[in-house]
Amino acid sequence: MDAQGRHFSVSHFLRQNQNRIFENNRAWVEAKLEEDPTFFERLSAGQEPDYLYIGCSDSRVPANEIMGLEAGEVFVHRNIANLVPNTDLNVMSVIEYAVLHLKVKHIIVCGHYNCGGVQAALSHSDMGLLNPWLRNIRDVYRLNEKELDEIEDAEQKWKRLVELNVLEQCKNVIKTAAVQQSYTKNEFPIVHGWVFDLRDGLLKDLKLDFEEALKDIKKIYDLEVGPH
Amino acid sequence: MASQRGDAFDYALKSNEAWANYKGHQNPAFFEKLATGQSPSILWLGCSDSRVPETTLLGLQPGDVFVHRNIANIISPTDINSNAVIEYAVVHLKVSHIVLCGHTFCGGAGAALGDSRVGGVIDAWITPLRAIRKAHDEELNAIKDSAKRAVRLAELNVEAGVQVLLSNFVVEEAVKDRGLKVHGAVYDIACGKVRDLKCGNSGSLPGSATEEELEIIKGNHGMLVFGGDGAKMAIR
Repeated sequence: MDAQGRHFSVSHFLRQNQNRIFENNRAWVEAKLEEDPTFFERLSAGQEPDYLYIGCSDSRVPANEIMGLEAGEVFVHRNIANLVPNTDLNVMSVIEYAVLHLKVKHIIVCGHYNCGGVQAALSHSDMGLLNPWLRNIRDVYRLNEKELDEIEDAEQKWKRLVELNVLEQCKNVIKTAAVQQSYTKNEFPIVHGWVFDLRDGLLKDLKLDFEEALKDIKKIYDLEVGPH
Repeated sequence: MASQRGDAFDYALKSNEAWANYKGHQNPAFFEKLATGQSPSILWLGCSDSRVPETTLLGLQPGDVFVHRNIANIISPTDINSNAVIEYAVVHLKVSHIVLCGHTFCGGAGAALGDSRVGGVIDAWITPLRAIRKAHDEELNAIKDSAKRAVRLAELNVEAGVQVLLSNFVVEEAVKDRGLKVHGAVYDIACGKVRDLKCGNSGSLPGSATEEELEIIKGNHGMLVFGGDGAKMAIR
């Protein structure tokens, strides 16, 4: 096949790839309506999700699919390596909205093994714009330096940093005024740390002791009381 | 209350187990293949709203869509969070399409149209939306129905976001070098459908228009024109 022909087939493939999206969207709408003719009508009345999911942007970890939840059931924020940096207005706005306005019952920070962001943080390279973002993961390494240094196997080290990163981001969620104040008043939300394993599709609960973590954090980061 | 909380939580974990079993049963190599890497062709930038689950509503599979979702799908030029996502998706994963998608009944648009303070950090986050509202005050005020006014603001927000994306250096470079497409769309919660706003650099999302329109759009952008009986190549 000549160069022109090859160009055609790649474009043609991409076009079909995109056609799939709108066709699939229509098929999904039809299937939903068949199950429940009022499905979309009910959704337009408002949202009352029980969960806020903070996960990785990675295409292999779609929140609703891995949790088996429907449209309307989980509020979602996804970024590189599921980070919750203190000064990031983007993720902080998401947490505030979910806790104070939607009154979610659970906040899940979900990482995943084979995370490219965590791997990049383990490598020693200048990644330009990504540096300040990945820096947060390197800080997690520093906070757990002794434990991680002792792991010789690179794959195991990578996996452990994925887990420790999730636990640290859970702490960052608990450091917010919204979570602390809502929990005192309503006994929710509860913060959970999960890791998704791409090899079997299963979620692993890291069993963060929320009450204990909250108590520890409040020793320094107590934002319970207003300025007055 | 405690037991209720436990139920919702256990439900999600049990539901995941059922899904993993189902997927593994359907295709035993499914997860093994996922673990080898990702090569999504689409970057989805959307709202955190629970009613707009991108992969579900697009009918796609794990591995297909790289995702960032925030309050009101705002693309701020100096937001490091979304910038890191865009950089990773465009430079490292080399996605072919960026879809910025707003939606109807958006709480963020509603808040930006109101005059009261939301409180905390949210007011700062939605400032770009307020600026758009001010810039289009006359047009928005002329819309009497508040839901329709919010939809219009959502559209204007997507258009502004697409402009920010097209001015992003790595996006601009990828558009030039390898034909990256940026699309703006709005998802209609009341009917479940994605509507193309045709405000990006490709005119239209393929598949969203009729065959005839599709050909013209392709032609407008000096791309391939597809004949009725398939395979013909021509540049307009």
